[in-house]
Amino acid sequence: MDIYREELLELYKNPHNKGAIKDPTVSVDEKNPYCGDEIELQLKIEKDVITEAKFDGPACMISVISSQMLTEHIVGKSLDEVRSITKKDLLAMVNINLSTSRVQCATLVLKALTKALEEYEQDSKDR
Amino acid sequence: MSFDVNKIRQDFPILNRKIDGKPLIYLDNAATSQKPQAVIDAIVAYYQTHNANIHRGIHTLSEEATQLYENTRKKTADFLGARKPEETIFTSGATAALNLVAFGWAVNYLEEGDIILTALSEHHSNLIPWQNVAERTGAKLAFFALTENGELTEEELKTKITEHVKLIVIAHISNVLGTIFPVKRICELAHAVGAKVVVDGAQAAPHMRVNVQSLGCDFYAFSAHKMLGPTGVGVLWGKMELLEPMEPTVFGGGMIDTVSPNCATWAEIPYRFEAGTPNIAGVVGLGAAIDYVQTIGMQNIEHHEQELTAHTLRQLTTIEGLRILGPKKAQARAGLVAFTVRGIHPHDISAVLNSAGIAVRSGHHCTMPLHKELEIPASTRASWYLYNTKEELDKLVEAINEAKKILR
Repeated sequence: MDIYREELLELYKNPHNKGAIKDPTVSVDEKNPYCGDEIELQLKIEKDVITEAKFDGPACMISVISSQMLTEHIVGKSLDEVRSITKKDLLAMVNINLSTSRVQCATLVLKALTKALEEYEQDSKDR
Repeated sequence: MSFDVNKIRQDFPILNRKIDGKPLIYLDNAATSQKPQAVIDAIVAYYQTHNANIHRGIHTLSEEATQLYENTRKKTADFLGARKPEETIFTSGATAALNLVAFGWAVNYLEEGDIILTALSEHHSNLIPWQNVAERTGAKLAFFALTENGELTEEELKTKITEHVKLIVIAHISNVLGTIFPVKRICELAHAVGAKVVVDGAQAAPHMRVNVQSLGCDFYAFSAHKMLGPTGVGVLWGKMELLEPMEPTVFGGGMIDTVSPNCATWAEIPYRFEAGTPNIAGVVGLGAAIDYVQTIGMQNIEHHEQELTAHTLRQLTTIEGLRILGPKKAQARAGLVAFTVRGIHPHDISAVLNSAGIAVRSGHHCTMPLHKELEIPASTRASWYLYNTKEELDKLVEAINEAKKILR
């Protein structure tokens, strides 16, 4: 089956960005109420550039792969660049033929990213 | 009548389907059941030859449609052991039935400080309405504590069922733990302190003999689609003396006696609770489903599922890292098993099973508080019915082992 390709399994079993950042600039939780998936996303932001990104939490293979790919993709990018990433972009990155219900799994991390950026902006304004 | 699973399977056209080239193994019956040709035929025949709106039509078709609809009411009442057909109300599903008791009856019955007793394992459809009722009336929700195996002990029943309890709402069978709750005993203890009992029978009515008189409950709800019938039809049974003070929650045509510009009076029970054109074809389908299960025999269905449960439990306990939620003994549970496998997300198990043609469900199964209590984000649930076989359940076990090989 497509989603159990060797390279994807490898990515799922050894996701480099899984874990926590020391002193993250922003840290958010996002849940998928339909399946109980939960993801914690942490970002380190310096001068409006993402310098580090990690994720954690009980999540399925699709969610892990997607989180790994997105966190890899955003490091070194400016907040403006990151803000412009769409669901479509992420699904293209993940490049797995997904059923409708599992698209939710793949895009959970993007919801978390949007939330993280909003929190960061709010914090910047408050400061 | 002897029970022949291979013969039964021939009545279900969908069981001929292939998924990715493999025969469908349908183990998601707790979500919805498949439909036998007899039910499909009854619905088609209704639309092809009898379709009309029910009640008050003088023409032949309307007479026929009314008769089909009301015959099903009688059948349903007999199926549940109701004293009279009028105690049986058709709704759009078990959820709508539970909401009708909650907002038509309980909001007027409960007072501030009363206790609504329930369990953390309840399906959201038998929890959230009561949260809302509690908020509106000032009543308080309290929860039975279940044992590690998801069972309710006599001691717990005696501790929690006190004179402050005015209402107990509980599933006959938990849709995740599979536990068959001691509803009869709950009703005895509840009535001794003057409390009423609402039973969510969505997982029970399709699978075991249910008699509301011998259970002694006050309300009982179930849905057609989990019992070989169509979606969009549910049943609320209630004791006539409790239906009398119950208020309608949906207003419109068909539920009135007289209407003047500023007010209206209600039609007889049960019609006052069935405003608007009901799902006539769906009700006809439910009638065919009841005929079907009764021809097979509820006792035979129960026995067949019990055998499958014992067989499956034995097999599943051999899988390393697999945790079964709910009772460990087959006799204490119904034909479903929810489980987790260490290190593998339930979604991924489902996906691997799907590639073997096996349909199961993963998630929290509309029981978030239970999953939180069990400290798991989600689980995988396999649930069987009269058309499933031991061989299919062996394939389930095989595929779980395969998932472990791929994903760990």
